[in-house]
Order: sequence, then structure tokens, then C-alpha cells
Amino acid sequence: MACVISLRRTWLVLFFFVSSWAGVAQEKFTLNGYVKDGGNGEALIGATVLIKEISGGGATNVYGFYSVTLAPGTYTVEYSYIGYASQSQTISIDSNQRLDIELAASGTQLEEVVIKGEAEDENVSSVEMSTNKLDVKTIQKIPAFLGEVDVLRSIQLLPGVSSVGEGSSGFNVRGGNVGQNLVLLDDAPVYNSSHLFGFFSVFNPDAVKDIKLIKGGVPANYGGRLASILDVRMKEGNSKEMEVSGGVGTVFSRLAVQGPIKKDKASFLVAGRRSYVDIFARPFTGDATLFFYDLTTKVNYDINKKNRLFLSGYFGRDVFRFDEQQGFDWGSITGTLRWNHLFNDRLFSNFAFFVSTYDYGFSFGENDLDRFDWESRILTYTFKPSFNYFLNTNNELLIGGETTLYDFKPADAQGVSDGVVTDISLDEKFSLESAVYVDNTQKVNDRLTLKYGLRFSTFQYLGVNTVYDYEIVEPGRRQQLVSEEEVDPSDIIESFSNWEPRFSFRYQIGKGSIKGSYMRTAQYIHLISNTAASTPIDLWTPSTNNIDPQIGEQVAFGYFRNFGSGNTYEASIETYYRDNQNQLEFVKGADLFLNEFIEGDLISGEGRAYGVEFSLKKNKGKLNGWISYTLGRSELRVDGINRNEWYPTRFDQTHNLKIFGSYILSARTSFSGNFTFISGAPVTAPTSRFTQQGLVIPFDYFDSRNGLRVPSTHRLDLSLTIQMRTEKKGRVRKNSDELVISLYNAYGRRNPFSIFFAQEDGQVLPGDPVNTLAYRFSIVGAPVPSISYNFKF
Amino acid sequence: MKKVFILLVLVAGLWSCEDSVNISLNDAPPVLVVDAWINNKPEVQVIRLSQSQPFFESELPPPVSGAEITVSSSEGNTFTFSEEGVPGEYRWNPITNGNSIGAIGTTYQLSIRVDDESYTAVSQINRVPAIDSITFTFEEERNPFQPEGYYGEFVSTDPVGVGDTYWIRTFKNGIYQNRPFDLTIAFDAGFSQGGVIDGVVFIQPIQDAVNPLNEDLDEIVPYEIGDSLYVEIHSITNEAFFFLQEVQIQTQRDGGFDEIFAEPLENVPTNIINVNENSTRRAIGYFCVSAVESRGRRLTE
Repeated sequence: MACVISLRRTWLVLFFFVSSWAGVAQEKFTLNGYVKDGGNGEALIGATVLIKEISGGGATNVYGFYSVTLAPGTYTVEYSYIGYASQSQTISIDSNQRLDIELAASGTQLEEVVIKGEAEDENVSSVEMSTNKLDVKTIQKIPAFLGEVDVLRSIQLLPGVSSVGEGSSGFNVRGGNVGQNLVLLDDAPVYNSSHLFGFFSVFNPDAVKDIKLIKGGVPANYGGRLASILDVRMKEGNSKEMEVSGGVGTVFSRLAVQGPIKKDKASFLVAGRRSYVDIFARPFTGDATLFFYDLTTKVNYDINKKNRLFLSGYFGRDVFRFDEQQGFDWGSITGTLRWNHLFNDRLFSNFAFFVSTYDYGFSFGENDLDRFDWESRILTYTFKPSFNYFLNTNNELLIGGETTLYDFKPADAQGVSDGVVTDISLDEKFSLESAVYVDNTQKVNDRLTLKYGLRFSTFQYLGVNTVYDYEIVEPGRRQQLVSEEEVDPSDIIESFSNWEPRFSFRYQIGKGSIKGSYMRTAQYIHLISNTAASTPIDLWTPSTNNIDPQIGEQVAFGYFRNFGSGNTYEASIETYYRDNQNQLEFVKGADLFLNEFIEGDLISGEGRAYGVEFSLKKNKGKLNGWISYTLGRSELRVDGINRNEWYPTRFDQTHNLKIFGSYILSARTSFSGNFTFISGAPVTAPTSRFTQQGLVIPFDYFDSRNGLRVPSTHRLDLSLTIQMRTEKKGRVRKNSDELVISLYNAYGRRNPFSIFFAQEDGQVLPGDPVNTLAYRFSIVGAPVPSISYNFKF
Repeated sequence: MKKVFILLVLVAGLWSCEDSVNISLNDAPPVLVVDAWINNKPEVQVIRLSQSQPFFESELPPPVSGAEITVSSSEGNTFTFSEEGVPGEYRWNPITNGNSIGAIGTTYQLSIRVDDESYTAVSQINRVPAIDSITFTFEEERNPFQPEGYYGEFVSTDPVGVGDTYWIRTFKNGIYQNRPFDLTIAFDAGFSQGGVIDGVVFIQPIQDAVNPLNEDLDEIVPYEIGDSLYVEIHSITNEAFFFLQEVQIQTQRDGGFDEIFAEPLENVPTNIINVNENSTRRAIGYFCVSAVESRGRRLTE
């Protein structure tokens, strides 16, 4: 009931928000339309629309749509986008007008890049902070592991972003854990974004158009995670002509086909990848196999000027089999249906419905009489209407909502022992998460821009199973089950709601600007992982009567400044502080899998993270690239762990330095390199050891957590891209192809993934002492060369 | 789980590497270690007292002598464990003393008096199922982890009723298999408390656990003609099971890609309590009383 009232109150707030602005706009007309790439018809996200006469304008949204409202008159309108030649048009506004623009790519030749003034000033002029964008062209230049370009590995070169090392799934943002990132692929959440234990990600670079990482000042239209939003947008598919691209690499091959279904009206994209190590290894491994594949596809259709439909999907799987009967596999499926509708010239809407699922399974056993099979899954359905209201040139309003039904299946498992089947499946859990929001970007004057919003979120843990209640007996140890109760499917076992205010500002001072932001976010689902790195078998679990939602607050301030003619250099320095409540920890000896009583093994505490991020980027010239440096700290405090004192998280990295540079050697060759330096990660070390029944067990007299630092990590990667001949018999080839030679970990540093403490291998005879040692494990401890070939025609 | 990584190592192992490193650890004072796992077998029962030692000290644990140790039962018996010969080893012989560890359900209290401190712990003897048979089956090579040869298994049925916990000990050719990865425990017929598998034959991986791994822990060593296999099932308390479960997590560190899945190092629990709550001296280790069932067999042609 309380929930219903507050929902109604929220709508009231929204209503006032809208109505307070409604009176402002009158006697004006609207210019709107889409800005697209002239070469392939792809919508351009964030293209600038500048009205010279008023030194203002707008930018296109994620669908490439813009709308500016102007008093009647004649205006010079300039459309621009990085890497494209800008276009100016003189338009006389005396009625509402639709103007779709196609910009021509400025080509790969350096000198063709049009130096634009204000359009490329976004670093300083935009109210957005703590936000990084990478386009696929940049990602492709970064030297890649085994020459395979990867989105998630690329974002780890950005300030504030890290990972615990090769072989870990996911990434960490500003000291947050992997499960605190919301990863979206065309709006649909991706619950596990890794292939091959995180060596590669599920995003096929052939299908990705644009990625945006928001680390702070998250607008109110996003929510549900504490640390960051990674918004990955797929290409729509070339609506002008058929295009085939692909590549042959060391690990996998890629092929993408895109083209118009109906020219300028409908297009499609199909991109697939498959790894083939298993095929070469077959003679040595027999039935054992290891591979992954994925398929990314999208279709879009411009029904008319007011309606546009998109259908996109991802399907991918990793398979490890050590013989015909036994193995391990995991994969994701996402599907998104979107309908863009223009209610009027200024009200753009998008209705999205998406489904996302992630599952994994194990099979062990020799035959049907002795087997063990286990599957686990998360499945979600979401409906997300959103409205983009271009109030006037100074205000852009986002209003919308979102509702998600979660279906968690922690385990569907059977053990067969001498023909006797035992079902050890665990109950499914259901929950519902909903949110409504309003967010306004207001340009107060040339110097000051504000962005403010409010999100109201609710979460219900639904009653379709047994409800357990636990009580802490000894902090840090397994909690005791107090009661167990069967509940009716119609019951709501537990309900949560949270107001999430968001605010940011930008104030111009001379050639730079100061930006600040505050956000409060609630996270209702939790990724359970108490291993050194995040893995494919981590489980998602809802907030329940025993697990409270995570609540995070973050404040950030920064100074942004561009240098050089035409904004050649972009610099920024940002500082942040995060305060997080109800951070999940695990009791000592937690049993996280196939455990009916798992909630008894989950405890919570408080978290904090703070740091300074520095970034310097050079966007133009023969040499371009960036330096990013983060000085940070990420800590937790949980009763019963580390003597109840603060301790660093596994991904606490004091210094994190990344340098990326790309140098154009000639018209056809370019050379790039990146260097990484990261302080040693914390690890828990024993002081002593003791013996029980001949087994030697490590013991820490001080009972501390993550008290030791492993040696620091540093690595240099290099790559050389050679464009093949662009002419054949004097004529320009229609096809283009290139060869990429890369060397990962160039000087072969043995960067520790972990330091662990163990007994020496081998049988110890009774009466003999046992040797215990510290070991360093490096996942990539040698230089890894590779070569790959990419083509497009 | 382990098997999965063997394949991964085949592929990615080209660049991964592992080596032992020198790390300087914090100094810590020693604490009293109680190693008190006794059972109802008609043979000399031993309780060991020692001190914890620096982690890298590769020596036998320093013994603690001069303690007074008794175990008293809810049936009214008191057994005195006395230090004879070997320092730190306290023995009691059920045969010469004319009594034995008693009926299922009896509770026992351990009392230790050493260095002016008193420690105590409680355990209970629980039921244990008989081993019906031990079999050897010849298998073709299944994968690099399971080569061709004879594989042993024991057949035993967990009694109906949730909450029986066991330690399964394997002796190959008379040698107790006591490496960290040999530690096999069962909750009813399955691995853990969470997924209840009750009142059936032990699940396949537990039956198979009597096939020890090679020195490098990457391949099972099948039995050969003439080899013997002797299996003991010790009933243990639930608390002792959870203790050993944590011992598994802390000691089964094989390195390699397992490290991705490794859980943080933690102190394992103890059930040894200092009687004086205000004392700063503490003890670690475990006291558990078991009932034992066993069976052995030699592989012949």
C-alpha cells in the first residue's frame, strides 16, 4: 500500500515537472530530424546541431534524433560529428520542419579531418562528466590480446576502470565490483559479458557502433547498479548497400553481413564469430573440446517519418567438454524489440521490450547410471517506455519508466548414483523491479548547464517458495536458520523502495569548465562471487527478507580543459567519493552453490571508494592517444571479517596508469602501443601454519583480510596495422583489407594473477615434515605474438 | 571442477606459468594446536598437542609436553591420555584399559590442562554405514584426466535421515592417502549440506574418490594388479564436517587456472575453548569422536 501511494506521488512530481515548463514555449517552431552517416545510413549518436545565430542548439539522442525549437526567422544550422565533414544549412523557420541530414565520413586520410570549433568541444561544454565514449575505430587501433579486438578490454584503458587480471570476467569501475556494472546491449542487460573466462567479451566489434561508459553522475533514466553503466549500441546495418566484412585471427574468425532490405528504409546486420582452437587441437585432445561462438543480429525498419522499428538479438555460447559426456558450458541470449515513435515534433518516444537470459551447466559422470548434471539460469523480461521531450533549446526532458520481471533458477540439478536419481534442484525465485524517472538538462546560460533528475525505484521479492529467516550467531560465521515457512504465490515476501536523486552541473571558466555531480542509486540484484576473480559460474540473486538492496551514493568534481588549436588536447581531472551500504560479503567457508540455505552464508557491510582520475587525450595529428591515471582506494568493513576493521577489496589498486598511443607511419601503415602499470593487488596471507591429522593448514594469527600486496603489474603491448594495396592495376579497389601484427606482453613480464599459499605437491610419508610455499601464478607470463587479417567489401 | 581446467591449461597453458616466490610474512606468536580425532577402533588412540609454526618453517610442528588430558563420556567413563615416549603425543589404549569408546549417541568432553590454562571441547559419536563392497572396474581411457586402467569404488548406503556426516579415508597399498586433495568428506550421500542427497548410495564422485591423483595432481593413477585398496568411513559431527570443508577450501590449492576460482584465505574454525573466558591464550584445532566402518580388497587377475 505504501508503495502505491509513493508511486502516485511520483507521478505527481513528474506532472509538476512537465507542467512548470509547458508555459515557457509558445509562438515557436520546431526543427527536427535524424542525423545519419551518408555512407551507410547508420544513425549518428551525439551529433551536434548548432544554431549559429543563438550559439546554441542540441545534440542527437541515441537513435540519432534531434529537435530544436526556435522563434521564427532565418538561421544557419551546422551539423557536425567527429570524424565527419560538417554541413551547414540556411533554414528559414516559419513552421515546424523535418530535416534529416546525412553527413559524409571524412575518410581515413588525416588531412581530410575537418577542424571544427565548438562541435569538438564536448569535453568542456557538455554537462556530462565521469563519462567515456569509445568508437569502434579507436578500439580497433588498440593492440589486442591475440590480435582480437575487444570492447571490454579496451575500456580497461580508461581512467577509473580496471580488472583483477587476465582470466577474470567483467571489469571494475571506481572500486566497484563486477556485479555493480549494468552492461546493456541495445538496452537489454547482459548478465555475463565474457567469453573464455574474460579473455574476450560477448560484444562483436563488427556489430558494435558506439559504447558509452558512465562512471558517475548517472542520469535518472539509468538505474539498478551502483558503480557504472556500460551502454553498448549495435549498428543498425548499412541501409545503402550490401557490405561484407570479417577477419581471420589466431583465436577466432568473424564474418558480418549487412545491407539494405529496402534502400534507406530497412536494413539488416548479421555478425558471427567462432573460435577454432578446438579444431586444431583435436588430434591432441580427442573428444575434449573448447570453443565459443556468438551471433549478433539486428533488423530495422523505417515505417514512416514518425515510426521506426528495431529488432536486435544476441546469442552466444562457450563450450568446454573433456569427453562426450562431461563438460561445462555457458552463454547468454538477449532480444530487444524497440519502437521509436514521434508523438509530435518535440516529443520523441521509445518503447522497448527486451528479454535477457544467462545460464551455465555442468555435466559429470561416465554413463547414464552414474551422472551429475547441474544447470543454473537467470531470465528477465523488461518493458521500458521512455520519452524524450525537447522542450526548447535550453531544456531537454527525459521521462520514462521501466519494469522487470526476474526469474532466478539457482540450480536445476540431478545426481544419478548406481541408477538411483536424486533431484537436488533448488527453488526458483521471482521478483519484480520497477522504476519511474524524470530528468531535465537545462542550459541556464552560456556558462552554466544543470542536469537534475529523480528516479523512484521499487522491488518486490515474490512469494513462490519457502521463506527462510536467519539470525547471526557469530559475526563472520554461518548464520543460524530461525524459521522456515511456505508462502503463497500471491504473497509479496519483501518489498523495497528508494528515491534516487541525481544532479550534475557544468560551469564554464575561461577555456575550461568545472563539473560536479551527485547520485544515489539502489541495486536490488546481487552477483554472488567470493572467488579471486569474477567467473562464469557466479550467480545472480535477488534482495530478499535476509538480503537488503545495495544503496550507493557518489559525489564527483572535476576540471575539464582543452588545449591547442582546434582542441587538439583534451584534459580532465576528476575526483570522486563513493559510499555504499549493504555490500555483500560471505561468511568464512561459505557454500555458494547448490545450497538451499545460501542466504545464511551471505552477510553485508559498508563500502567506500575514493580517488582521483587524470586524463589527457590527443585526438589529432600523426600521433594520437591518451594517458590515463587513477589514484584510488576501495574498501569494505564487515562485522566478523578483518577484526571488524576496514580492509581493501580484491580490486583495490592504488596506482593505475594506462598509456595508449597510435602513430601513423604512412598512408597505409600505422603503429600503436599501450602500456599499463597497476599497483599490486591485495591478497590474504597467513602468518603461521598448524597440523591436523597430518594436514598442514594455513593460519593467520591476526585474522586479517587482504593484508598483503602482490608485486605490481606492468605490461607493454604493440601492434602494427598494414593496409593492403588500395589500388589494383591503377584502379581503386572497392575492397579493403588489412593485416594486423601484434605482440602482447612485449617484454614477457610475469605479472601475478595471484599469490597463493600451498603445500608442495607429492605424498608426505608419516613422520616427515611438510613443505609449504608461496606460489605466483601468471596467466600470461610470456610475450604472445599474433597475426590477423581483416577485410571488407 | 578441477577437470575443467585441465583442458583450459592445454590451450591457454602455453603462456601461463607458475613459480614459487619469496614473500616475507608478518611474525606471529605461536598458539596451542589440539589434534584430537579419536574413534571406536580397538587400537591405541592418540591426541597430539603442538604449537603453530611460521608458515614457511618446513619442520615437524613443535610438540607441547606436560599436559594433562582426559576424555569423559556421558556414560560416565573417563579415559586418561598420557604422554609416553614421543613428546606431544598423548595415548590411551582401549584394550589394556578394558573399556572402549561407546555406543552411538554418546557425548564426550575433552579436558586439557597445560601451562596453567584449561581447555575443553565437546563431541558426539554418530552412526556410520557399513561398506558393502569394494569393486575394481577396467576402464578405457576417457580423457587425459582419466587414463586406461582399473578404477576402484566403494559401495555404501547412507542411512535415511538428513544430517549424517562422514570422513572417507583411503589407504592404497597400506599407505594412508593424506594429501590435501585426498581429503574426502560427505554430507549424507552428497558433497554438502545445501543439496540434500539422503538415504542413497554415496554419489559417484564420492565413490570415485578412492582413486588417488598422481604427484602433479593432473591425472588419476589407476590401480594395477596386486594393488590393495582399504577404505574407512568415519562418522563425524556436523561441526567437524564444516571444519573439514573449510580445511578443503584452504588447503586444496592446486594453482593454475584453479586460482581464478580460489576463495580468499581464511582461518578455519575450532571447537577448542579456553575455560577461562578472560584469558588471552587461545587454542586452535579440533576434537571429534568417530565410529568407523572399513573394508579392504586386493586387485587380482
